[in-house]
Amino acid sequence: MKELKIIETLLKGLPNTLILIVGSFVFATLVGVLIAWLYLRKHKGFQAIAKIYLGISRGTPPLLMLLVAYYGLPKLLEVVGININDWSKMFFAIAGLSIGWGAYLAEAFRSAYLAVDKGQHEAGLAIGLSNRHIFLHIMMPQTMLIALPNIENLLIGLIKATSLVYVIGITDMYNVATDLSNINQGVYQLSIFVTLALIYWFIVLIVEFIFRLFRNHFKYVTV
Amino acid sequence: MILQIKDLKKSFNGNEVLKGINFKIDKGEVVVIIGPSGSGKTTLLRNINFLESADSGIMKFQDEEINLVNPTKKEKLLVRRQTAMVFQNYNLFKNKTALENITEGLIFGQGIKKEQAVNLAEMALDKVGLLDKKDFYPSQLSGGQQQRIGIARATVLNPALVLFDEPTSALDPELVGTVLQDMKRLADEGQTMIVVTHQMSFAKNVATRVIFFDKGEIIEEGKPSEIFEHPQNIRTKEFLSVIAEDY
Ligand SMILES: Nc1ncnc2c1ncn2[C@@H]1O[C@H](COP(=O)(O)OP(=O)(O)OP(=O)(O)O)[C@@H](O)[C@H]1O
Ligand SMILES: [Mg+2]
Repeated sequence: MKELKIIETLLKGLPNTLILIVGSFVFATLVGVLIAWLYLRKHKGFQAIAKIYLGISRGTPPLLMLLVAYYGLPKLLEVVGININDWSKMFFAIAGLSIGWGAYLAEAFRSAYLAVDKGQHEAGLAIGLSNRHIFLHIMMPQTMLIALPNIENLLIGLIKATSLVYVIGITDMYNVATDLSNINQGVYQLSIFVTLALIYWFIVLIVEFIFRLFRNHFKYVTV
Repeated sequence: MILQIKDLKKSFNGNEVLKGINFKIDKGEVVVIIGPSGSGKTTLLRNINFLESADSGIMKFQDEEINLVNPTKKEKLLVRRQTAMVFQNYNLFKNKTALENITEGLIFGQGIKKEQAVNLAEMALDKVGLLDKKDFYPSQLSGGQQQRIGIARATVLNPALVLFDEPTSALDPELVGTVLQDMKRLADEGQTMIVVTHQMSFAKNVATRVIFFDKGEIIEEGKPSEIFEHPQNIRTKEFLSVIAEDY
Protein backbone atom coordinates (compact mmCIF):
# COMPACT_ATOMS: atom_id res chain seq x y z
CA MET A 1 0.00 0.00 0.00
CA LYS A 2 2.77 2.33 1.03
CA GLU A 3 4.66 1.69 -2.27
CA LEU A 4 1.58 2.42 -4.33
CA LYS A 5 1.03 5.65 -2.46
CA ILE A 6 4.62 6.68 -3.13
CA ILE A 7 4.34 5.94 -6.85
CA GLU A 8 1.02 7.74 -7.05
CA THR A 9 2.44 10.84 -5.41
CA LEU A 10 5.62 10.88 -7.48
CA LEU A 11 3.68 10.52 -10.73
CA LYS A 12 2.03 13.87 -9.96
CA GLY A 13 5.36 15.42 -10.92
CA LEU A 14 5.66 13.34 -14.08
CA PRO A 15 3.78 15.67 -16.48
CA ASN A 16 6.12 18.55 -15.66
CA THR A 17 9.14 16.30 -16.00
CA LEU A 18 7.95 15.10 -19.40
CA ILE A 19 7.21 18.62 -20.61
CA LEU A 20 10.69 19.66 -19.53
CA ILE A 21 12.29 16.73 -21.33
CA VAL A 22 10.41 17.13 -24.59
CA GLY A 23 10.43 20.94 -24.60
CA SER A 24 14.13 21.23 -23.78
CA PHE A 25 15.08 18.53 -26.26
CA VAL A 26 13.15 20.17 -29.09
CA PHE A 27 14.54 23.63 -28.42
CA ALA A 28 18.04 22.35 -27.73
CA THR A 29 17.93 20.58 -31.09
CA LEU A 30 16.92 23.80 -32.83
CA VAL A 31 19.68 25.71 -31.04
CA GLY A 32 22.14 22.93 -31.86
CA VAL A 33 21.29 22.93 -35.57
CA LEU A 34 21.54 26.72 -35.73
CA ILE A 35 24.88 26.88 -33.95
CA ALA A 36 26.34 23.99 -35.96
CA TRP A 37 25.21 25.75 -39.13
CA LEU A 38 26.79 29.04 -38.05
CA TYR A 39 30.00 27.23 -37.20
CA LEU A 40 30.16 25.30 -40.47
CA ARG A 41 29.65 28.38 -42.64
CA LYS A 42 33.11 29.55 -43.49
CA HIS A 43 32.25 33.06 -42.32
CA LYS A 44 34.50 34.48 -39.60
CA GLY A 45 31.75 36.48 -37.87
CA PHE A 46 29.28 33.57 -37.74
CA GLN A 47 32.01 31.27 -36.53
CA ALA A 48 32.96 33.70 -33.80
CA ILE A 49 29.36 33.86 -32.55
CA ALA A 50 29.16 30.07 -32.51
CA LYS A 51 32.48 29.71 -30.72
CA ILE A 52 31.63 32.24 -28.02
CA TYR A 53 28.30 30.55 -27.38
CA LEU A 54 29.88 27.09 -27.26
CA GLY A 55 32.62 28.27 -24.91
CA ILE A 56 30.31 29.89 -22.42
CA SER A 57 27.59 27.28 -22.57
CA ARG A 58 29.82 24.24 -22.25
CA GLY A 59 31.74 25.80 -19.41
CA THR A 60 28.66 26.46 -17.29
CA PRO A 61 27.19 23.81 -14.96
CA PRO A 62 23.54 23.04 -15.80
CA LEU A 63 22.37 24.16 -12.37
CA LEU A 64 23.99 27.54 -12.88
CA MET A 65 22.52 27.74 -16.36
CA LEU A 66 19.03 27.36 -14.90
CA LEU A 67 19.66 30.10 -12.34
CA VAL A 68 21.09 32.41 -14.98
CA ALA A 69 18.08 31.79 -17.24
CA TYR A 70 15.65 32.41 -14.39
CA TYR A 71 17.24 35.51 -12.88
CA GLY A 72 19.33 36.80 -15.78
CA LEU A 73 17.13 36.43 -18.85
CA PRO A 74 14.37 38.83 -17.67
CA LYS A 75 17.03 41.44 -16.75
CA LEU A 76 18.70 41.03 -20.11
CA LEU A 77 15.45 41.39 -22.04
CA GLU A 78 14.38 44.34 -19.88
CA VAL A 79 17.29 46.24 -21.38
CA VAL A 80 15.71 45.94 -24.81
CA GLY A 81 12.29 46.71 -23.40
CA ILE A 82 10.78 43.24 -23.24
CA ASN A 83 9.17 42.25 -19.97
CA ILE A 84 9.11 38.52 -19.29
CA ASN A 85 9.21 38.70 -15.49
CA ASP A 86 5.90 36.98 -14.99
CA TRP A 87 6.34 34.29 -17.59
CA SER A 88 5.94 30.72 -16.41
CA LYS A 89 8.85 29.15 -14.58
CA MET A 90 8.67 26.30 -17.06
CA PHE A 91 9.68 28.72 -19.78
CA PHE A 92 12.86 29.65 -17.93
CA ALA A 93 13.65 26.05 -17.12
CA ILE A 94 13.29 25.01 -20.75
CA ALA A 95 15.31 28.04 -21.85
CA GLY A 96 18.13 27.21 -19.43
CA LEU A 97 18.30 23.54 -20.36
CA SER A 98 18.00 24.28 -24.09
CA ILE A 99 20.85 26.76 -24.00
CA GLY A 100 22.96 24.27 -22.09
CA TRP A 101 22.19 21.20 -24.18
CA GLY A 102 22.10 23.15 -27.45
CA ALA A 103 25.87 23.47 -27.22
CA TYR A 104 26.40 19.74 -26.80
CA LEU A 105 24.01 18.98 -29.64
CA ALA A 106 25.68 21.59 -31.85
CA GLU A 107 28.99 19.82 -31.41
CA ALA A 108 27.36 16.45 -32.09
CA PHE A 109 25.83 17.75 -35.33
CA ARG A 110 28.97 19.58 -36.41
CA SER A 111 31.33 16.66 -35.91
CA ALA A 112 28.84 14.31 -37.58
CA TYR A 113 28.54 16.60 -40.59
CA LEU A 114 32.31 16.74 -40.94
CA ALA A 115 32.41 12.95 -40.75
CA VAL A 116 30.17 12.53 -43.80
CA ASP A 117 32.27 11.50 -46.78
CA LYS A 118 32.99 14.55 -48.97
CA GLY A 119 32.61 12.32 -52.01
CA GLN A 120 28.87 12.18 -51.34
CA HIS A 121 28.58 15.89 -51.98
CA GLU A 122 30.77 15.76 -55.07
CA ALA A 123 28.85 12.85 -56.53
CA GLY A 124 25.70 14.93 -56.15
CA LEU A 125 27.26 17.93 -57.89
CA ALA A 126 28.57 15.73 -60.68
CA ILE A 127 25.07 14.51 -61.57
CA GLY A 128 23.69 18.04 -61.58
CA LEU A 129 22.02 18.25 -58.16
CA SER A 130 21.88 21.63 -56.45
CA ASN A 131 23.83 22.32 -53.27
CA ARG A 132 20.56 22.75 -51.44
CA HIS A 133 19.17 19.42 -52.60
CA ILE A 134 22.40 17.63 -51.75
CA PHE A 135 22.42 19.18 -48.30
CA LEU A 136 18.83 18.29 -47.48
CA HIS A 137 18.61 14.83 -49.04
CA ILE A 138 22.13 13.43 -48.87
CA MET A 139 24.23 15.23 -46.27
CA MET A 140 21.62 15.93 -43.58
CA PRO A 141 20.22 12.39 -43.31
CA GLN A 142 23.72 10.95 -43.12
CA THR A 143 24.75 13.57 -40.57
CA MET A 144 21.81 12.63 -38.38
CA LEU A 145 22.61 8.94 -38.58
CA ILE A 146 26.21 9.54 -37.59
CA ALA A 147 25.15 11.81 -34.74
CA LEU A 148 22.49 9.41 -33.47
CA PRO A 149 24.47 7.63 -30.72
CA ASN A 150 25.67 10.99 -29.40
CA ILE A 151 22.17 12.43 -29.52
CA GLU A 152 20.85 9.47 -27.57
CA ASN A 153 23.44 9.93 -24.84
CA LEU A 154 22.79 13.65 -24.67
CA LEU A 155 19.05 13.10 -24.37
CA ILE A 156 19.56 10.65 -21.52
CA GLY A 157 21.78 13.19 -19.79
CA LEU A 158 19.12 15.83 -20.31
CA ILE A 159 16.44 13.61 -18.78
CA LYS A 160 18.44 13.37 -15.59
CA ALA A 161 19.31 17.07 -15.63
CA THR A 162 15.63 18.04 -15.56
CA SER A 163 15.71 17.06 -11.88
CA LEU A 164 17.72 20.25 -11.28
CA VAL A 165 14.76 22.53 -11.92
CA TYR A 166 13.91 22.42 -8.20
CA VAL A 167 16.37 25.33 -7.87
CA ILE A 168 13.84 27.62 -9.46
CA GLY A 169 10.92 26.02 -7.66
CA ILE A 170 9.27 23.86 -10.31
CA THR A 171 7.41 20.80 -9.03
CA ASP A 172 8.83 18.08 -11.22
CA MET A 173 9.13 14.48 -10.05
CA TYR A 174 12.31 15.05 -8.14
CA ASN A 175 10.86 18.02 -6.28
CA VAL A 176 7.72 16.05 -5.40
CA ALA A 177 9.94 13.27 -4.08
CA THR A 178 11.97 15.54 -1.79
CA ASP A 179 8.74 17.12 -0.51
CA LEU A 180 7.24 13.71 0.17
CA SER A 181 10.37 12.64 1.99
CA ASN A 182 10.37 15.80 4.12
CA ILE A 183 6.69 15.54 5.06
CA ASN A 184 7.38 12.06 6.42
CA GLN A 185 10.44 13.27 8.31
CA GLY A 186 12.60 11.08 6.07
CA VAL A 187 11.04 7.82 7.29
CA TYR A 188 10.38 6.49 3.79
CA GLN A 189 13.30 8.32 2.27
CA LEU A 190 15.03 5.27 0.80
CA SER A 191 11.84 3.80 -0.70
CA ILE A 192 10.90 7.15 -2.15
CA PHE A 193 14.23 7.75 -3.85
CA VAL A 194 14.58 4.17 -5.09
CA THR A 195 11.10 4.46 -6.61
CA LEU A 196 12.04 7.78 -8.17
CA ALA A 197 15.19 6.23 -9.64
CA LEU A 198 13.11 3.40 -11.11
CA ILE A 199 10.77 5.85 -12.80
CA TYR A 200 13.68 7.75 -14.37
CA TRP A 201 15.17 4.44 -15.42
CA PHE A 202 11.90 3.50 -17.05
CA ILE A 203 11.84 6.74 -19.05
CA VAL A 204 15.41 6.09 -20.17
CA LEU A 205 14.41 2.56 -21.25
CA ILE A 206 11.67 4.01 -23.44
CA VAL A 207 14.13 6.42 -25.02
CA GLU A 208 16.58 3.61 -25.67
CA PHE A 209 13.80 1.58 -27.21
CA ILE A 210 12.82 4.39 -29.58
CA PHE A 211 16.42 4.90 -30.67
CA ARG A 212 16.80 1.16 -31.21
CA LEU A 213 13.77 1.17 -33.51
CA PHE A 214 15.33 4.03 -35.41
CA ARG A 215 18.64 2.25 -35.76
CA ASN A 216 16.97 -0.92 -36.96
CA HIS A 217 15.01 1.00 -39.53
CA PHE A 218 18.24 2.38 -41.00
CA LYS A 219 20.44 -0.63 -40.39
CA TYR A 220 21.51 -0.87 -44.04
CA VAL A 221 22.59 2.73 -44.20
CA THR A 222 26.16 2.53 -42.95
CA VAL A 223 27.67 5.97 -43.13
CA MET B 1 34.37 17.82 -81.20
CA ILE B 2 32.83 17.32 -77.78
CA LEU B 3 35.24 19.02 -75.48
CA GLN B 4 38.31 21.16 -75.78
CA ILE B 5 40.51 22.47 -72.98
CA LYS B 6 42.96 25.30 -73.55
CA ASP B 7 45.84 26.24 -71.31
CA LEU B 8 44.42 24.78 -68.10
CA LYS B 9 46.55 25.67 -65.08
CA LYS B 10 46.01 24.77 -61.47
CA SER B 11 48.15 25.15 -58.36
CA PHE B 12 47.59 24.06 -54.79
CA ASN B 13 49.45 26.33 -52.36
CA GLY B 14 52.07 27.30 -54.89
CA ASN B 15 52.51 23.73 -56.09
CA GLU B 16 51.66 23.76 -59.81
CA VAL B 17 49.73 20.56 -60.44
CA LEU B 18 48.48 21.31 -63.96
CA LYS B 19 50.93 23.27 -66.11
CA GLY B 20 48.88 24.46 -69.03
CA ILE B 21 46.96 21.53 -70.44
CA ASN B 22 45.72 21.58 -74.02
CA PHE B 23 43.40 18.79 -74.85
CA LYS B 24 40.61 17.86 -77.21
CA ILE B 25 38.24 14.93 -77.47
CA ASP B 26 35.98 14.02 -80.37
CA LYS B 27 32.74 12.12 -80.35
CA GLY B 28 33.20 8.37 -79.91
CA GLU B 29 36.76 8.59 -78.66
CA VAL B 30 37.93 6.54 -75.70
CA VAL B 31 40.86 8.44 -74.25
CA VAL B 32 42.86 6.62 -71.60
CA ILE B 33 45.13 8.72 -69.41
CA ILE B 34 48.04 6.95 -67.76
CA GLY B 35 50.75 8.36 -65.56
CA PRO B 36 52.42 8.18 -62.17
CA SER B 37 50.67 8.85 -58.90
CA GLY B 38 50.43 12.53 -58.05
CA SER B 39 50.90 13.66 -61.64
CA GLY B 40 47.56 15.52 -61.67
CA LYS B 41 45.24 13.10 -63.48
CA THR B 42 42.46 13.34 -60.92
CA THR B 43 42.84 17.11 -60.74
CA LEU B 44 42.39 17.32 -64.52
CA LEU B 45 39.13 15.34 -64.43
CA ARG B 46 37.87 17.36 -61.46
CA ASN B 47 38.50 20.58 -63.34
CA ILE B 48 36.49 19.37 -66.31
CA ASN B 49 33.57 18.78 -63.95
CA PHE B 50 34.15 22.00 -61.95
CA LEU B 51 34.73 20.07 -58.75
CA GLU B 52 37.93 22.10 -58.68
CA SER B 53 38.36 25.65 -59.94
CA ALA B 54 41.21 26.45 -62.28
CA ASP B 55 43.76 29.26 -62.09
CA SER B 56 43.54 29.77 -65.83
CA GLY B 57 42.03 28.02 -68.79
CA ILE B 58 39.15 27.90 -71.21
CA MET B 59 36.80 25.06 -71.99
CA LYS B 60 34.89 24.65 -75.18
CA PHE B 61 31.93 22.39 -74.63
CA GLN B 62 29.53 22.00 -77.54
CA ASP B 63 29.02 25.58 -78.67
CA GLU B 64 29.78 27.23 -75.37
CA GLU B 65 33.08 28.75 -74.48
CA ILE B 66 33.48 28.59 -70.72
CA ASN B 67 36.08 30.32 -68.61
CA LEU B 68 37.39 27.68 -66.24
CA VAL B 69 38.46 30.23 -63.64
CA ASN B 70 35.01 31.50 -62.77
CA PRO B 71 32.31 29.56 -64.57
CA THR B 72 28.75 30.69 -63.97
CA LYS B 73 26.20 28.45 -62.28
CA LYS B 74 24.48 28.02 -65.62
CA GLU B 75 27.66 26.93 -67.33
CA LYS B 76 28.47 24.48 -64.57
CA LEU B 77 25.00 22.95 -64.80
CA LEU B 78 25.19 22.75 -68.58
CA VAL B 79 28.38 20.72 -68.44
CA ARG B 80 27.38 18.61 -65.45
CA ARG B 81 24.03 17.68 -66.97
CA GLN B 82 25.69 16.40 -70.11
CA THR B 83 28.75 14.77 -68.65
CA ALA B 84 29.10 12.24 -65.87
CA MET B 85 31.79 11.08 -63.52
CA VAL B 86 32.62 7.66 -62.15
CA PHE B 87 34.66 7.85 -58.97
CA GLN B 88 37.39 5.66 -57.58
CA ASN B 89 35.39 5.10 -54.40
CA TYR B 90 32.08 4.76 -56.25
CA ASN B 91 30.51 7.52 -54.12
CA LEU B 92 27.06 6.00 -54.25
CA PHE B 93 24.71 7.87 -51.92
CA LYS B 94 24.80 5.71 -48.82
CA ASN B 95 21.30 6.61 -47.68
CA LYS B 96 19.76 5.71 -51.04
CA THR B 97 19.03 2.37 -52.65
CA ALA B 98 20.64 1.34 -55.92
CA LEU B 99 17.58 2.50 -57.82
CA GLU B 100 17.31 5.79 -55.93
CA ASN B 101 20.98 6.46 -56.59
CA ILE B 102 20.12 6.65 -60.26
CA THR B 103 16.70 8.30 -60.08
CA GLU B 104 17.86 11.08 -57.71
CA GLY B 105 19.84 12.83 -60.44
CA LEU B 106 17.21 12.15 -63.08
CA ILE B 107 14.37 13.62 -61.06
CA PHE B 108 16.08 16.46 -59.22
CA GLY B 109 19.01 17.19 -61.54
CA GLN B 110 17.44 16.67 -64.94
CA GLY B 111 13.79 17.33 -64.15
CA ILE B 112 12.49 14.00 -65.42
CA LYS B 113 9.15 12.73 -64.07
CA LYS B 114 9.45 10.08 -61.40
CA GLU B 115 7.75 7.30 -63.33
CA GLN B 116 9.97 7.77 -66.33
CA ALA B 117 13.05 8.12 -64.13
CA VAL B 118 12.31 4.77 -62.50
CA ASN B 119 11.94 3.18 -65.93
CA LEU B 120 15.23 4.61 -67.13
CA ALA B 121 16.99 3.59 -63.93
CA GLU B 122 15.70 0.04 -64.15
CA MET B 123 16.92 -0.22 -67.70
CA ALA B 124 20.32 1.09 -66.71
CA LEU B 125 20.52 -1.42 -63.84
CA ASP B 126 19.49 -4.21 -66.17
CA LYS B 127 22.32 -3.31 -68.55
CA VAL B 128 24.89 -3.85 -65.81
CA GLY B 129 23.08 -7.00 -64.69
CA LEU B 130 21.99 -5.70 -61.31
CA LEU B 131 18.29 -5.10 -61.66
CA ASP B 132 17.63 -7.68 -58.94
CA LYS B 133 19.64 -5.47 -56.54
CA LYS B 134 17.63 -2.32 -57.15
CA ASP B 135 16.34 -2.06 -53.58
CA PHE B 136 19.68 -2.78 -51.96
CA TYR B 137 21.65 -0.12 -50.15
CA PRO B 138 25.34 0.36 -51.02
CA SER B 139 26.37 -1.34 -47.77
CA GLN B 140 24.65 -4.50 -49.00
CA LEU B 141 26.60 -4.59 -52.26
CA SER B 142 30.14 -5.62 -53.15
CA GLY B 143 32.59 -3.00 -54.37
CA GLY B 144 32.27 -4.30 -57.90
CA GLN B 145 28.49 -4.11 -57.77
CA GLN B 146 28.64 -0.61 -56.34
CA GLN B 147 30.93 0.54 -59.10
CA ARG B 148 28.71 -0.97 -61.80
CA ILE B 149 25.81 0.92 -60.29
CA GLY B 150 28.05 4.00 -60.30
CA ILE B 151 28.51 3.40 -64.03
CA ALA B 152 24.78 2.89 -64.53
CA ARG B 153 24.15 6.15 -62.67
CA ALA B 154 26.68 7.99 -64.83
CA THR B 155 25.51 6.65 -68.18
CA VAL B 156 21.74 6.38 -67.74
CA LEU B 157 21.11 9.35 -70.05
CA ASN B 158 23.88 8.58 -72.55
CA PRO B 159 25.85 11.70 -71.61
CA ALA B 160 28.03 13.41 -74.15
CA LEU B 161 31.11 12.49 -72.13
CA VAL B 162 31.84 10.20 -69.18
CA LEU B 163 34.88 10.73 -66.95
CA PHE B 164 36.27 7.69 -65.14
CA ASP B 165 38.78 8.26 -62.34
CA GLU B 166 40.52 4.97 -61.59
CA PRO B 167 37.21 3.11 -61.48
CA THR B 168 38.76 -0.24 -60.61
CA SER B 169 41.62 0.65 -58.31
CA ALA B 170 39.62 0.30 -55.08
CA LEU B 171 38.34 -3.13 -56.08
CA ASP B 172 39.52 -6.60 -55.15
CA PRO B 173 41.32 -8.13 -58.15
CA GLU B 174 38.57 -10.66 -58.85
CA LEU B 175 35.98 -7.87 -59.17
CA VAL B 176 37.95 -5.72 -61.61
CA GLY B 177 36.96 -7.76 -64.65
CA THR B 178 33.22 -7.22 -64.40
CA VAL B 179 33.63 -3.45 -64.17
CA LEU B 180 36.04 -3.35 -67.10
CA GLN B 181 33.55 -5.39 -69.12
CA ASP B 182 30.86 -2.80 -68.50
CA MET B 183 33.26 -0.06 -69.57
CA LYS B 184 34.20 -1.98 -72.71
CA ARG B 185 30.54 -2.45 -73.55
CA LEU B 186 30.03 1.32 -73.26
CA ALA B 187 33.02 1.94 -75.51
CA ASP B 188 31.64 -0.50 -78.06
CA GLU B 189 28.34 1.37 -77.99
CA GLY B 190 30.19 4.50 -79.01
CA GLN B 191 30.16 6.28 -75.65
CA THR B 192 32.73 9.07 -75.54
CA MET B 193 34.87 8.74 -72.47
CA ILE B 194 38.04 9.76 -70.66
CA VAL B 195 39.43 7.04 -68.45
CA VAL B 196 42.20 7.44 -65.90
CA THR B 197 43.41 3.95 -65.09
CA HIS B 198 46.36 1.75 -64.32
CA GLN B 199 44.73 -1.14 -66.18
CA MET B 200 47.09 -1.38 -69.12
CA SER B 201 45.10 -4.16 -70.77
CA PHE B 202 42.12 -1.82 -70.95
CA ALA B 203 44.29 0.93 -72.40
CA LYS B 204 45.74 -1.42 -75.00
CA ASN B 205 42.49 -3.06 -76.04
CA VAL B 206 39.81 -0.41 -75.69
CA ALA B 207 41.42 3.03 -75.95
CA THR B 208 41.33 4.89 -79.23
CA ARG B 209 43.98 7.22 -77.85
CA VAL B 210 46.38 6.99 -74.90
CA ILE B 211 47.77 10.02 -73.11
CA PHE B 212 50.84 9.77 -70.92
CA PHE B 213 50.63 12.36 -68.22
CA ASP B 214 53.45 13.34 -65.89
CA LYS B 215 54.10 16.21 -63.46
CA GLY B 216 51.08 18.16 -64.65
CA GLU B 217 51.79 17.91 -68.35
CA ILE B 218 50.79 15.80 -71.31
CA ILE B 219 54.10 14.22 -72.24
CA GLU B 220 53.02 12.08 -75.12
CA GLU B 221 49.85 10.89 -76.80
CA GLY B 222 48.88 8.58 -79.59
CA LYS B 223 47.28 5.29 -80.56
CA PRO B 224 47.75 2.53 -77.97
CA SER B 225 50.09 0.67 -80.27
CA GLU B 226 52.25 3.78 -80.69
CA ILE B 227 52.46 4.55 -76.99
CA PHE B 228 52.99 1.01 -75.76
CA GLU B 229 55.21 -0.31 -78.52
CA HIS B 230 57.11 2.77 -79.65
CA PRO B 231 57.07 5.36 -76.88
CA GLN B 232 59.08 8.41 -77.96
CA ASN B 233 59.69 10.15 -74.67
CA ILE B 234 62.16 8.83 -72.13
CA ARG B 235 59.68 9.43 -69.27
CA THR B 236 57.03 7.39 -71.04
CA LYS B 237 59.52 4.58 -71.53
CA GLU B 238 60.52 4.63 -67.89
CA PHE B 239 56.94 4.68 -66.68
CA LEU B 240 55.95 1.78 -68.92
CA SER B 241 58.89 -0.31 -67.81
CA VAL B 242 57.97 0.22 -64.14
CA ILE B 243 54.32 -0.50 -64.85
CA ALA B 244 55.24 -3.70 -66.66
CA GLU B 245 56.91 -5.00 -63.52
CA ASP B 246 53.96 -4.12 -61.35
CA TYR B 247 51.09 -5.36 -63.44
N1 LIG C 1 42.80 19.64 -52.64
C1 LIG C 1 44.15 19.59 -52.74
N2 LIG C 1 44.91 20.37 -51.93
C2 LIG C 1 46.26 20.35 -52.02
N3 LIG C 1 46.94 19.56 -52.88
C3 LIG C 1 46.23 18.76 -53.70
C4 LIG C 1 44.81 18.72 -53.66
N4 LIG C 1 44.38 17.84 -54.59
C5 LIG C 1 45.48 17.34 -55.17
N5 LIG C 1 46.60 17.88 -54.65
C6 LIG C 1 47.98 17.58 -55.07
O1 LIG C 1 48.04 17.66 -56.46
C7 LIG C 1 48.88 16.67 -56.99
C8 LIG C 1 48.15 15.87 -58.04
O2 LIG C 1 47.11 15.12 -57.42
P1 LIG C 1 46.13 14.21 -58.24
O3 LIG C 1 45.21 13.58 -57.27
O4 LIG C 1 45.55 14.96 -59.36
O5 LIG C 1 47.12 13.11 -58.80
P2 LIG C 1 46.79 11.77 -59.58
O6 LIG C 1 47.58 11.81 -60.83
O7 LIG C 1 45.35 11.58 -59.69
O8 LIG C 1 47.42 10.67 -58.64
P3 LIG C 1 46.89 9.17 -58.29
O9 LIG C 1 47.34 8.30 -59.42
O10 LIG C 1 47.62 8.84 -57.04
O11 LIG C 1 45.43 9.23 -58.13
C9 LIG C 1 49.38 15.85 -55.83
O12 LIG C 1 50.65 16.29 -55.49
C10 LIG C 1 48.40 16.19 -54.72
O13 LIG C 1 49.03 16.13 -53.47
MG1 LIG D 1 43.94 10.20 -58.91
